[in-house]
Amino acid sequence: MSPQAPTAAPPRPPLGVSSPLIETVGVGKTYGGFRALEDVSIAVRAGEFVSIVGPNGAGKTTLVNLLTGLLVPSKGAVYFKGRNIAGAGPVTLATQGMARTFQLVQIFPELTVAETIAAAVVTRQGKRWRLLLPLVQDGEIATRVAAIAGMFGLASRLATLSRLLSQGEKKLLDVASAFALDPQVILLDEPTSGVSTAEKHAVMTTLVGAARAAGVQAIILVEHDMDLVAAYSHRIIALSEGRVLADLPPDEFFADPVIIETVVGKRRGVSC
Amino acid sequence: MKQGYALFLVAIAAGALALVPVLAPPFYANLLVPFYGYAIALLGFNLLFGYAGLLSFGHALFLGLGAYTAAVLAGLWGVKEFEVVLLAAALAGLILALPLGWLAVRYRGIFFGMLTLAFGMLAHAVLFKFYHLTGGDSGMRVPRMHLLGLEFAAYNKFELLAGPFYYYCLILCGLAAFLMWRIVHSPFGLHLRSLRDNAQKAAYLGVHVHQFRLAAFAISGIYGAVGGTILGFRTGLADPELVYWTHSGHLVFMTVLGGFSSFLGPVIGALALTLLQDQLQSLTQYWRLVLGAILALVVIFLPRGLAGLAVDLGLFFGRRSAPSAASTTETA
Amino acid sequence: MPAATSAIANIVIGGIFHAAVLFLVAAGLQLVFGVQKIVNLACGSFYALGAYFGITLVNFGLGAGLPDWMLLPLLLIAGLLMAIIGPPIERLLRTVYDRDESFQLLLTFALVLMFQDVFRLVWGANPRSLDNVHLVYGKWTVGDFSVPVYNLLVIGAALLAAFLIGLFLSRTNFGRQLRATAENRAMAEALGVNVRAVYAAVFTLGTLLGTLGGALVVPTAAASLDMAVEFVIEAFAVVVIGGLGSMPGALAGAGLVGLIRASALVVYPEFEILAIYLIVIGVLLLRPSGLFGKPAA
Repeated sequence: MSPQAPTAAPPRPPLGVSSPLIETVGVGKTYGGFRALEDVSIAVRAGEFVSIVGPNGAGKTTLVNLLTGLLVPSKGAVYFKGRNIAGAGPVTLATQGMARTFQLVQIFPELTVAETIAAAVVTRQGKRWRLLLPLVQDGEIATRVAAIAGMFGLASRLATLSRLLSQGEKKLLDVASAFALDPQVILLDEPTSGVSTAEKHAVMTTLVGAARAAGVQAIILVEHDMDLVAAYSHRIIALSEGRVLADLPPDEFFADPVIIETVVGKRRGVSC
Repeated sequence: MKQGYALFLVAIAAGALALVPVLAPPFYANLLVPFYGYAIALLGFNLLFGYAGLLSFGHALFLGLGAYTAAVLAGLWGVKEFEVVLLAAALAGLILALPLGWLAVRYRGIFFGMLTLAFGMLAHAVLFKFYHLTGGDSGMRVPRMHLLGLEFAAYNKFELLAGPFYYYCLILCGLAAFLMWRIVHSPFGLHLRSLRDNAQKAAYLGVHVHQFRLAAFAISGIYGAVGGTILGFRTGLADPELVYWTHSGHLVFMTVLGGFSSFLGPVIGALALTLLQDQLQSLTQYWRLVLGAILALVVIFLPRGLAGLAVDLGLFFGRRSAPSAASTTETA
Repeated sequence: MPAATSAIANIVIGGIFHAAVLFLVAAGLQLVFGVQKIVNLACGSFYALGAYFGITLVNFGLGAGLPDWMLLPLLLIAGLLMAIIGPPIERLLRTVYDRDESFQLLLTFALVLMFQDVFRLVWGANPRSLDNVHLVYGKWTVGDFSVPVYNLLVIGAALLAAFLIGLFLSRTNFGRQLRATAENRAMAEALGVNVRAVYAAVFTLGTLLGTLGGALVVPTAAASLDMAVEFVIEAFAVVVIGGLGSMPGALAGAGLVGLIRASALVVYPEFEILAIYLIVIGVLLLRPSGLFGKPAA
């Protein structure tokens, strides 16, 4: 997992007012001989809600891992706030203002709800190397933890161990802890997977509301459910076989039968 | 309120320990001196095991380091002050823990255990084989030292151990426990526990997984070396048996006996094993058989150790004596 | 044969003999780890048990008037008989299969402590040995160089064991079930493999390899209370070097450790154990899966 030097990174784009928060420039990624991504250039600006869709194997996971600095692109570069983040790793990005949630719910089983959120607040407030100051004496952390927990309806569960939460609460806690980083960009990897169809919209509404309240500037959503994508996105990026098939506003996106056929049709074929 | 109750119990225990040299025959104070050494070492060991989730099977290495530091400083170089030796041992623990930890924390689980075991055995081989430097299996002498600048010339070694040194160790152990309490309850301690539970998620919340594991390893190395100086002072000897893998096994034994999921569990385990071993040794030469059976029973039936058992019993009797309190919490 | 050559031959044969015994015990460790994912610290105690009981059985047998050449058969029987402790110990370990690996490790450590006192109880604190009976098969001599035929027989027995284990794992139905369990326990269970039976069989086989190794070594070395804790650590070095869970790894690792030990003893005794642990650490750092293990994903 050691970061390799990115091959021939293109020059850094100038940082202007409308310049993107996060951007990939001509990114390609190959594993051995397999080309997972090829020449992908996308950009997400402040205020945007962008969805990434595509059939299984289109390269969504690889793109997510590149955007979160986990993987180093074989070609091209990934910029976050104008900085090349190739292989920067999750810790650096969490500190700089990018958070993500996971498709499969991720919790700390033996930590309470308050402690889970506090772990992120500690990072945010730059207090991770305070070796001797008890956490409970830090009012600044406690206030922030309570605020975040309130936003996600977890205020009454603060002292509960994470492993004792219901599945839905675990999901909320996973997302809440990511929001506690006060990120400028948040990447939601199938946030409604494992949630019943009836509840999906409620979950998304909570997430988007919390994001607005927390001052998140841009949201990237990876999602299979086209209803959700249509309801929330400003822009939809469709991947197919490692390339960008479309990068359009929802009305234009859903007006194109070829795109719909590729994205939705193939997915149906795979999942049924 | 629960914490206040725990603090009350700890104060009573500390008071009882402080009275041992006064009320009990000096034999017992002398017997408990190594307990303080182990208690300090295990407080550090459990930062690594209980809080960071890394089981070292070579941690006796640091106990040996402390004892040998004392032997070299006091025995060869004529340093008289025990405080200087303590500081030097802590420094040596840090200096050795940093490179070893840097190599070891890249692994978890069984690989971490095996690598630390190999480090310990390597140290054993060095101490054992290079007898012109280390005295081989007969080890090196650790002479008695001054405590806080006082020589205690009127005391013989036994009286020194059962009196002034006993209190010295009690206070040192109390300080070490207080510091460790602050560490595990600090933001740093929280990040450690988060990476123990789920390293990937922790990294995405900004937890420096490797750096923090290394920091825990270094702190546990310092605690181990400090504990080792007490063992060396008491026996007057630093020998290779201190770093042998079975000694590391005993550290794990004490920790699990007391319960690694409680802060004071390892300390309770050290006390229980020290007393138990003494009793068994006076009863039978086959004390290992009994000890092994006890360890097996604890592993199978008491995974949370004596501390866990105490908490469960406390809850059980608490509920029986105050049924109204239980019912109010249920309705609430 | 010139003196230098025969000295080298002595080192090599001595190393291979040690490697043969190491292989048996390490193979037991590998089987148990490969299938059950348990690092069995007690395998050194099984080795010591085989050694002690081997002495008792040989003394009894030869004392009862059996011919001297019965030495090897008696030792093999001793090793086989002592494998009966496998199933009850496996039953004990079953209580912690679902727990964290630290609990499994500690339970086997408890066994190490208990066995040490059982040996003390039954066979006393002083080392026990068989005096020179291994020369009953004569010596094989070439010029200055000579080696007891017994040592060659043990080397042959270990190689035979390696061959039979390989055959068992690759050719028999049970061996395939065993490998499937090692690969993916849940999947094997779903496919109808009786995992409980596999575990019991594997642990007993692992025990047998340990007791057999101990029984075979005892004509050439004394049985002592320390042999368990000393040998398990060497067997551990073998499996780490070869790769945890890998049978070819156990063979190669045992060969390497045996030869290093034998040559260091002659060339530079201070370096004996040191060299082994330096290699162990080097392997763990550079190739944690060992020389023959599958690299972790």
